[in-house]
Amino acid sequence: MSELYVKIMEIRPEIIMLIGACCCLMVGLHRSAEIRKLTVAVAVLTLVFAGFYNAWQTLDSDHPWTLASFTKMAVCVVGVLLLSFASGLPDKLKMSRDAESHPEKFDPGNVMRGEFYAFFLFSLTGVMLCGGANDLVWLFLALELTSLPTYVMVATGRDNIKANESGIKYFFLGALAAAIFLYGFALIYGATGVTNFDQIRECIAVTGVTPLFTLGIVLSIVGIGFKIAAFPMHFYTADVYEGAPTPVTAFLAFVPKTAGFVSLILVLTLTSKTNFRMGNPEELQIYISLPNTVQAVLWVMAALTMTIGNVMGLMQTNVKRILAYSSVAHSGYMLVGLLGISSCVAGVTSTNGAAGVMFYLIAYALGNMAAFAVLACLERNGDEATDLDDLAGLSARKPMLAALMLLANLSLIGLPPMVGFAGKIYMFSAAVNAGFVGLVIIAVVNSAISAVYYLRIVNACYFKKADASQTELVPTRNRVMVALAGAVLAVYLGLAGNELARITNQATIANLFNGKIVRQVLQDYPQAMGGEQTAWNIEKNNP
Amino acid sequence: MDSMMLTHYLIIGAILFCMGLIGFITRRNLIIMFLCTEMMFQGVSLSLVAFSRYHCNVTGQTFVIFVLTIAAAEAALALGLVVLLFRRKRTLDANAWSSLKG
Repeated sequence: MSELYVKIMEIRPEIIMLIGACCCLMVGLHRSAEIRKLTVAVAVLTLVFAGFYNAWQTLDSDHPWTLASFTKMAVCVVGVLLLSFASGLPDKLKMSRDAESHPEKFDPGNVMRGEFYAFFLFSLTGVMLCGGANDLVWLFLALELTSLPTYVMVATGRDNIKANESGIKYFFLGALAAAIFLYGFALIYGATGVTNFDQIRECIAVTGVTPLFTLGIVLSIVGIGFKIAAFPMHFYTADVYEGAPTPVTAFLAFVPKTAGFVSLILVLTLTSKTNFRMGNPEELQIYISLPNTVQAVLWVMAALTMTIGNVMGLMQTNVKRILAYSSVAHSGYMLVGLLGISSCVAGVTSTNGAAGVMFYLIAYALGNMAAFAVLACLERNGDEATDLDDLAGLSARKPMLAALMLLANLSLIGLPPMVGFAGKIYMFSAAVNAGFVGLVIIAVVNSAISAVYYLRIVNACYFKKADASQTELVPTRNRVMVALAGAVLAVYLGLAGNELARITNQATIANLFNGKIVRQVLQDYPQAMGGEQTAWNIEKNNP
Repeated sequence: MDSMMLTHYLIIGAILFCMGLIGFITRRNLIIMFLCTEMMFQGVSLSLVAFSRYHCNVTGQTFVIFVLTIAAAEAALALGLVVLLFRRKRTLDANAWSSLKG
C-alpha cells in the first residue's frame, strides 16, 4: 500500500463530510420547498454517518485512539448538538423569507439555507483535518478551512448591522493571524528544509533547536492564539460573540478553539525532546521536555489570557459578552494544561497535559453550549435578548431552563461533581507535575474570580424579580434538548469521566513521544516505566 | 544560493511583512487594510521561495502555490464582505463600524 493510499483511507470521514456539504448546497437550492426543508436532515445525517464511520474504523481494527480519530469523534458528537442548536437559523433571515414568500416564484439567489449548513460542515471538516495533520502545508490548509466559513456564518447569520460589523472584525483579524502563523510555518521550514512533522523532528534531533526554528514556533503559537482567543489576539472575542447569532457564537466557542488547541499540540510536539532519566524509586522514566523560550512564551500567554478574560468578564452586563470573556479565560486555563506536557512522563496519565486539554475542550464545550442554548430561548421583539436583566425571574417562569443554566454555570466555574472540575484537576495536576506551581496558583485564583460573574448569571435567574419586561420565552424543542444534553453530559462525565480521560491519554501519547527514541531506550532498558505501553501506542499508530 | 543571498531575500520578505502589519494597524480604509494583509502573505511567500531555493528542494514552492490559493479565497471573501458592509452604510471607513464596545 502506498503512503498516499493509507492517507486517503485515514481521511475518509472528512471525505464523507465534504460530499455531505456539497449535497447540502444542492438540496438547499431545490425547486420544491418540501425538499429544501430537508437540508438540515442531510447535514445531520452526514455528521452521524461520518461519526459512525470513524468509530467503526477505530474500534474495528485494534488501533488505539489517535489524536486524529479522537478529534473527529469529538467534532462529530459535539457537531450534531451544535447543528441541532443552529437548525432553523437561516430560515429566519429576512432575505431568505422574502425569497421563499411566493411558493410559485422561488428566488434561488437570495436563499441562505444550503450555504449555511454547507459552511457549517466545511468548518467542522477543517477541524477534523487538523487532528490528522502531519505536514505544515496540511495544517495551514486545515486551519484556513476551519476559519473561512465561520467568517461568512458570523457576518450573514442575522438581520442586524451588528452581525456585519462583527463579521468584518473577525475576518480582518483572522487574516492577520493567518499571515502571522504562516510566517511561523515558513520559518520552521526555513530552519529545517522540510515540512513533514516526522522529518522536522528528526532534523531538530540532529541540529538542535536553532533560534530561527524557535522564532518560527513562537510566531506559530501567537498566530494560532487567534483561533483560541488567547492574548495578544483576543481583542475580537467579545464583539464577535455579541454580534454573531447565538447558535453561531456557541459554534465559535468550540470549533476554532478545538482546531487551535489541536494545532498547538502538534506544533509543540515539533519542539519536544524525548529524554530518559532515573526516577526516584529506581525506575527509568521516559519523559519529554520543551525549550525554555517556548515555555516562557506559553507561561506569559496563559497568565495574561486568563487574567484579562476574568477581569474583563467582571465588567460586563451582557450575558453573551460575559461568556465571551469566559471563553478567553478558559483558553488561559487550557494553555496552563498545555504547558503541562513539558515534562510528560510515559505511562503516567496525570502528567499528560495535552490529554487534559483535550478532555477540557469537551468539558468546556458541554457547559458552554448548555448556557448558550438556554440564552437563545429568550427573545425581545423577535431579536435576541441577552442582557443580565432579561434573565430575571427565569426560575419562576421556566424552572427547568433556570436549572439547566445553573448546571452549565457550575460546570464552567469548575465545581464538583461537574465535568469542569474533573477537567481542571486533570490539566492543573499535569502543570504542577511539570513544576509550574506559580502558574497553577494564578489559575486557581482566576477560577475563584470567574465564579463571581457566573454566579451573577445564576443570581439573575433565581433571585431577581421579573419586572414587566417584554422578554418572551421561546423554548423550542431543539434548544431545550441541546441544553439538556449539554447539562446531563456535563454531570455524567464529571462523575464517570475515567473512560474519557483514558481515551484522551491514549490519543495524545503517540504524538508527544518520539517513537525512535522510546524504542531505543526500551532496547537498552526493557524495564523502563510506562515505556512498553507508550511504545505499543506509537507502534500501532505508525504502522 | 549561499546564505548571504538568502539573507537578502529574507530581509525583503520581512520588510514586506512588517509594512503590511504597520499598514493594517494605521490605515482605516477597509480595502487598503485587506491589501495590507495580502502584502503580509506575499512577504511570507517570498521567504518561502527563498528558503526553497536555499535548501534545494521544491517543498517551499509547493507551499507557496497553496498559500496563493488561500489568499485568493480570502480575497473573494473579503470583497464580498466589504460590498455587504458598503451597501449598509455607503462608506469604506473602518471607524464607521464601531458600535460594539465594552
